[in-house]
Amino acid sequence: MAFEQIVFYAFSAVLVFSAGVVITVRNPVHAALFLVLCFFSTAGLWLLLRAEFLAIALVLVYVGAVMVLFLFVVMMLDINIAVVRQGFARYLAVGGVVAILLIAVMAMVVGGDYFGLERTPVPEPIGEVSNTRLLGLQLYTDYVYPFEIASVILLVAIIAAIALTLRRRPDSRYQEPGRQVEVRRGDRVRLVSMKSEERR
Amino acid sequence: MLENYLPILIFIVVGVIVGGAMMAFGFILGPHRPDTAKLSPYECGFEAFEDSRMKFDVRFYLVAILFIIFDLEIAFLFPWAIVLKDIGLFGFSAMMLFLGILVIGFIYEWKKGALQWE
Repeated sequence: MAFEQIVFYAFSAVLVFSAGVVITVRNPVHAALFLVLCFFSTAGLWLLLRAEFLAIALVLVYVGAVMVLFLFVVMMLDINIAVVRQGFARYLAVGGVVAILLIAVMAMVVGGDYFGLERTPVPEPIGEVSNTRLLGLQLYTDYVYPFEIASVILLVAIIAAIALTLRRRPDSRYQEPGRQVEVRRGDRVRLVSMKSEERR
Repeated sequence: MLENYLPILIFIVVGVIVGGAMMAFGFILGPHRPDTAKLSPYECGFEAFEDSRMKFDVRFYLVAILFIIFDLEIAFLFPWAIVLKDIGLFGFSAMMLFLGILVIGFIYEWKKGALQWE
């Protein structure tokens, strides 16, 4: 048990540190990379809670895909830090009020009333049954309707992403391998039968 | 259960130590004699033409979003593959419907040319 606690505190320390760096570092690309570190240490913590599937899904989906998207977005936005920092004093009052409100809301939601240790006691360990297995048994039978809705949402996301970002560039050239393979001799070479001419 | 993950933990620790040690040794043992010429940005020997913060083409973003969607699909496949024997034909057809709906999106993006890199 003691070894598990050491691992827990190590992952938690890395998580708190990197979360702090994410919001304080100036370069947005560095912030995104520290967010990756955040996700990794969170995956470690979830693994300590025996939530195997969630931990692997966090690494697979968030670190593997979402953070790549974040990096592309950060690079695409072309953020000029000097311009962003210009209006700091002007927005300080409004931003401060919003920040205090957000902190208050989070304290009310995450505070002791709903999330205390008395409210949510440590669940009984389920023994040697893999929780990925239990998740699967529930998800594809009892929750099949939300599961199918998820696929429809993903379909909408595909179509929306294509509709929003796909731009044709008429000046660009590309090969079509299918048409290259299909080509016949007749398409390229024309044999002309003609009488031989007399030599002059 | 957690003992199955001990090799991964050892791997992480070794990776952090090796990576950190290499950077630390290079920082401690290497010579530090910076001057303005060394610290200034350069581009193959001449002055830099432009800022390194350039805009990326939006189609990288499109590819990343499509990748996320099919990555999520894979995440749904893992628990399904584990319990496939227990949930029977119903679970199998549920997943086939799920995949079928996503295949519609795949055909759409294929036909639309979103996967075409010009």
